[in-house]
Amino acid sequence: MEVNAQTEIIVAEGVSKTYSDHGVPVSAVKEIDLTIRTEDFAAIVGPSGSGKTTFLNIISGLDTVTEGKVWLNGKLLSEMSGRELSDFRRDNIGFIFQAYNLIPVLSVEENIEYIMLLQGVPKSERHSKVNKILAELGLSGFENRMPTQLSGGQQQRVAVARAMVSNPSIILADEPTANLDSKTGAELLDLMRELNKTSGMTFVFSTHDPMVMERAHRLVTLKDGQVVSDEIRE
Amino acid sequence: MRTFMKLAWRNLFRNKRRTLIAGTAIGIGLAALIFVDALILGMEENMVQSATSSFLGEGQIHRDGFRDTQEVEKTINDLEGTVAGLEQEEIVKRFTLRTLSFGIITSPANINSITLVGVNPETEKWLSEIDDAIREGSYFEEHTGQAIVIGSELAEILEVELGDRIVITVARAESGDLSQEMFRISGIYSFGIREMDTGLAFVSLDKAQEMLGIGSGVHEIAIKFTDPEYGRDETHPFWKKYSRNGNEAIGWTTLLPQLEAAFELSQFGIFITAIILFGVVALGIINTLFMSLHERMFEFGVLRAVGTRPGRMFQLILFEAAALAVLSIALGVILGFGITLASNISGIDYRGIEFAGVTFKELLHPVLTLKQFIVYPIALFLFTSFVAIYPAWYAARLAPAAVIRKSL
Repeated sequence: MEVNAQTEIIVAEGVSKTYSDHGVPVSAVKEIDLTIRTEDFAAIVGPSGSGKTTFLNIISGLDTVTEGKVWLNGKLLSEMSGRELSDFRRDNIGFIFQAYNLIPVLSVEENIEYIMLLQGVPKSERHSKVNKILAELGLSGFENRMPTQLSGGQQQRVAVARAMVSNPSIILADEPTANLDSKTGAELLDLMRELNKTSGMTFVFSTHDPMVMERAHRLVTLKDGQVVSDEIRE
Repeated sequence: MRTFMKLAWRNLFRNKRRTLIAGTAIGIGLAALIFVDALILGMEENMVQSATSSFLGEGQIHRDGFRDTQEVEKTINDLEGTVAGLEQEEIVKRFTLRTLSFGIITSPANINSITLVGVNPETEKWLSEIDDAIREGSYFEEHTGQAIVIGSELAEILEVELGDRIVITVARAESGDLSQEMFRISGIYSFGIREMDTGLAFVSLDKAQEMLGIGSGVHEIAIKFTDPEYGRDETHPFWKKYSRNGNEAIGWTTLLPQLEAAFELSQFGIFITAIILFGVVALGIINTLFMSLHERMFEFGVLRAVGTRPGRMFQLILFEAAALAVLSIALGVILGFGITLASNISGIDYRGIEFAGVTFKELLHPVLTLKQFIVYPIALFLFTSFVAIYPAWYAARLAPAAVIRKSL
């Protein structure tokens, strides 16, 4: 299969995943074919147990497929070693989880610069990038705070900052608003939509939050591990 | 690497109580090891001092075979040459000449077998502690050939007192004829060691030589070294140099094999203590790391997800173990130093207690050495890092998706 890495950031072909639950095989994802295009602001939606998170983990290289293939930025994930996958995630993907995103013993600044530290970015560059992103996300002055000194919304903003600061090709967000009140969740989503528009960064959400669905311009619906609809909205 | 070291150090204090409990347990173990080592060193020093300074000396020279048979004829060969040699030895601090012979001591009331020791009072006092152990009378202050110094328990057996007369009977060299001489008790000593207080009697060297018919010969040269360790070092050329012309030169380890065996037993005790300590450390570290690891599964998943390599995860856990080790070692060293120093200053009273044939005569002072504060902490640090390999390997192999899924 030929992948156009310029326009197709993620290509999943015939992806299936079966888990063994106490010896009983459980099929979480079944033969999914899906392409995520550059600059997409897409939401993978569906009820609990529909396979959203599993699919997100597979397309990010956090989990392996039982069958099928996944290309990310034109690279076939199954051909990479564990170390290569770690480096690939570090350089190409930003992650936002629903909670406990931040390392509690690191300050806001240290959390945000963590990926850049892994990349070996010099200190001065790290510092200026952290300050820039904190300003963009309205978190200036919070550099030295510890995660426990932040509200849930502020913690998620810091998680967004960490995900974006190293300029990855794609941000994968797993239920990013699940632990936020509706106002804070809406603000966070608006912020990410704005960043998607201004930076051209691709966002893929796994969610069942209606607020995300309202804002997503592409809605992929999963049911029982299969894509039942793929709606593109203007 | 600095980031992971910082992360590890901060992680250590996330659960302060657990870290403190684990660190204290390991620290107490290290302190115990330091103290036991110091105590055994002090005990060894005390025992060697008690054994060698009372009478034995740190080394001795005899004619070959004398120690087995105690035959009066077996006097040291080439005495003049040997004495001249010893006077030139830099490692020899003092030495004294002695005759040793079996004899019978008789009082009007009783009779007892003894070892009659002929000594030169001037040089003997530097080697043995007879002069210090005198309880009644004096140590050969009367320079008459008829003065005899006996032990307090022997005096009780013979029912004699200071100034009383007793008769000594010995067999003369070559002929085996009995030689008898009357002595006046000029001093009574008490070492607190039964064998010495009942079984020895001291007379002047020339009188003993005369009674035994050995001319100017002696049976024993007792030696004190500038450093007592020379007496322990069987490989030192000194022993070979003086084990010639039919003589044998031996250190206290040969003279008192039971003492060396007791020390070996003590070393084994330290080894067992170390094994127990390290076993406790191993279980403590593994338990602490796994508890901490299981509490932070999601966090590990996030770290892996954002691109932390498995090797870095391995490193992080090793650093956490190392940080715990550093904390524990600091606690253990402070505690160990404090307890050992306090007992070193106050001393431990084992006086009068006999162990391996030696009676403790002085307070036991545990000995602090640099080794206790360098070798043991380093060994503990390395061991801690070693046992952390398993939890570190476990953390490195965690599948990020699985731990994130399980944690939610």
